[in-house]
Amino acid sequence: MNLLADIQSPELEHSISHLLEVPPYGIAPEQRHKALLALFKQELDYACARNPQFCNYVKHWPIAVSAAQNISDLPYLPVSAFKANPPLSLVPPRDVKRTLTSSSTSGQVPSRVVLDAATSKRMTKGVIAIIRDFIGPSRRPYLVIDTPENLGRQAELGARGAAIQALGSFATEISCCLRPAQQGEPSLDLEKLLASVEKWKDAEVLVYGFTHLIWVHFVQALQGRGITLNMPRIHVLHSGGWKRLERLAVTKDVFIRNVSSVFGCPPDRVIDYYGMVETVGVVYPDCELGYKHVPAFADLIVRDPLTLAPVGVGQQGLVQVCSVLPTSFPGFLLLTDDMAEIIGHDGCLCGRRGTHFRFLRRVPKSEVRGCGNLETTRQRFERGSNV
Amino acid sequence: MSDLIQTIACPQEITCLAQRLRNSAVDQDRHPNAILDIFEQWADALNDRHVRDIPGVTFLRLWLRRGTLEPILRRELGPDFLNGGWSEDGRARLRAVPLGVVGHWPAGNIEIQPVLSLTCALLGGNSCLVRIPSGLIEPSRLVIEQLQKIDHTGLLMERLAMITFDHSRTDLHEAMARTVDGAMIWGGAESVLQVRSLPFPHWARLLVFGPRLSVAAMDAATWGDGNERSSWCRRIARDVWQFEQQACSSPQTLFLECGPAGSDPAELVEDLKLAFKEENRAHPRQQIEPVLTSAICRARAAWLLADEANQASFPETPDWTILLGKGSHIPEPTQGRTLSILVADDLLKVVSKFDGNVQTLGLAIKDKQREEILTDAAARHGVDRVVRLGQMHVFSSPWDGTDLVRPLVRLVRHVSSQN
Repeated sequence: MNLLADIQSPELEHSISHLLEVPPYGIAPEQRHKALLALFKQELDYACARNPQFCNYVKHWPIAVSAAQNISDLPYLPVSAFKANPPLSLVPPRDVKRTLTSSSTSGQVPSRVVLDAATSKRMTKGVIAIIRDFIGPSRRPYLVIDTPENLGRQAELGARGAAIQALGSFATEISCCLRPAQQGEPSLDLEKLLASVEKWKDAEVLVYGFTHLIWVHFVQALQGRGITLNMPRIHVLHSGGWKRLERLAVTKDVFIRNVSSVFGCPPDRVIDYYGMVETVGVVYPDCELGYKHVPAFADLIVRDPLTLAPVGVGQQGLVQVCSVLPTSFPGFLLLTDDMAEIIGHDGCLCGRRGTHFRFLRRVPKSEVRGCGNLETTRQRFERGSNV
Repeated sequence: MSDLIQTIACPQEITCLAQRLRNSAVDQDRHPNAILDIFEQWADALNDRHVRDIPGVTFLRLWLRRGTLEPILRRELGPDFLNGGWSEDGRARLRAVPLGVVGHWPAGNIEIQPVLSLTCALLGGNSCLVRIPSGLIEPSRLVIEQLQKIDHTGLLMERLAMITFDHSRTDLHEAMARTVDGAMIWGGAESVLQVRSLPFPHWARLLVFGPRLSVAAMDAATWGDGNERSSWCRRIARDVWQFEQQACSSPQTLFLECGPAGSDPAELVEDLKLAFKEENRAHPRQQIEPVLTSAICRARAAWLLADEANQASFPETPDWTILLGKGSHIPEPTQGRTLSILVADDLLKVVSKFDGNVQTLGLAIKDKQREEILTDAAARHGVDRVVRLGQMHVFSSPWDGTDLVRPLVRLVRHVSSQN
């Protein structure tokens, strides 16, 4: 192990810890930017000292790290870099406590990120800091709309398990209300659900599930039986994307309306959040106005696909997520395959400070090759270059 | 939607259009010279300021010239074809007759492809039913509008129907297939297979131009020559820029023959960077699909993370990318002006690893005999076109190893019943 890397670790740890201890949405943007820029530079140097391939990437970046004036100047990796096998790592194998894998759709290679003890701890702290700001600090019963096997402490954990377990710190007790799949899909364990509801009827309850699981195996299953739960004090958190629900023509409004109707809770108790295993520890829940906010220990840049330059307020582009939390893998600055719109860099009426944005969609997957497709998604007449 | 390109709602509309086209093709001959005359005027008309900047139109203007097409027709159909009518063949007579109605399924990523495709069929005297991909409606309309302006008698326009419909409308694809006597099918593997499986009449002749890729190669003597290197780099840049590197004929990889001790491919990369910057200045992108931007970023990262010996040059924008390393296998293409440069010990060994997936080999080789050896090897290993770098996109016959007009005519043989 490089001596320089070891020397830098305590210093890094201190700087990261400091950002984790401040209120996640309380720092003025300019104050936060300065601290983050310096920290990201430190982290890049640290990563370069530990991974020669990553160092090769940084070395070829058009702007030298030392010369970067903005976070947007720093070298960012595409999230697909974590589809590599073995996974990109900044720690020796003996220090890897857990590997997280993304929920890849069929045929796709999943992303894999390695966590050491320190990164794992920071990520838990990050999620707690963010979620606490939305649902309050108290511990409460935790209803998981998923199957019990996602609660186990496996060495390799999928996206669903990671998301479920990240919220475990808020739980006084946990109940999973889906039965494991017998053939293909899981199913609702109604008896268990109703017993939990009866037991927790007067309590504040935290509910979490993947968006499509909640819709297909919970909402539709209960509506099909004409059952409404009376749980007005719950918070329903959900994540995992809208692709499958779009196929079912279920919009976000329809989803929220039906979920709140099934639980018997106000719609503002149903909170969608954006997150991914590559940036685990930083999640982006919707505020009361429907916008997602960037916490103190992270940043978010939306880049114009034509120039890759950051876009301004009201403009759309590719999302780059930035997080100071990982030190076991180089997931500090990641360009995603998601599109978003910047709503503002401060002053959201919900009271949270810093950048807020609206998630738009995933960039459609497309195989790029040969003389192209008979049908293109291009809906414009491109002028400029010619033969 | 323009009048020139009809949006189709039901199969009956296609059947009616095809009937009109068939009547036109069957009822009256079009003398090849008359078609060439109109093409010549069309080429002039395409200099119109509203049209000339459409990607590929500069090439289309050259393609439509008599000087380009006459030699192709003579080679494919014989010297007598241009005179029209019958030609003697011993005791028999032969005549090239149009198939009838030719359906065209062009790819959606090359602006001029619908027009290039239909010109091949028109040269054979056919009528054309052309499905225009949704993204190419406007450029296709503008180009055909110029033909409409000069084709006062409707000699070609009445043999042309351009239609558009949602790509998922299988019923309309099927209706189109049922009504044609031949088809030109272009595109990716999945799309091509889907179109091929449509219910064409059993006599229909299908020309399929599926997905392929192209590569370039340069010998050490060429890239080591400081006087010539920059002009070769400009040619490479031109080939990379055209069609956003999405055409089958676009070079995705440049193989560099390993030079003598002391020669450094970094010199070539420097010249190439200048050429790419200049080409980008002259032909900047106006738009890009986010999926392509993502692919470009992925390619840059994957290359540099794969091996710490790999090198790359790219700006902060997705405008262009040069990836430099060693190897003799063609990497997965990225497109979007992303050129992989691989230094290889022996170009002959590189070419010997090609298969039918490689369409065009663009060459810059100093020694003529060496070039011939490489060409022979490439031909044996599936390559259909071997051309000078800078000319990789020159659309000519044969394309993909196939004649462009000949398969769209029937050669009718007449042996007189009288002694």
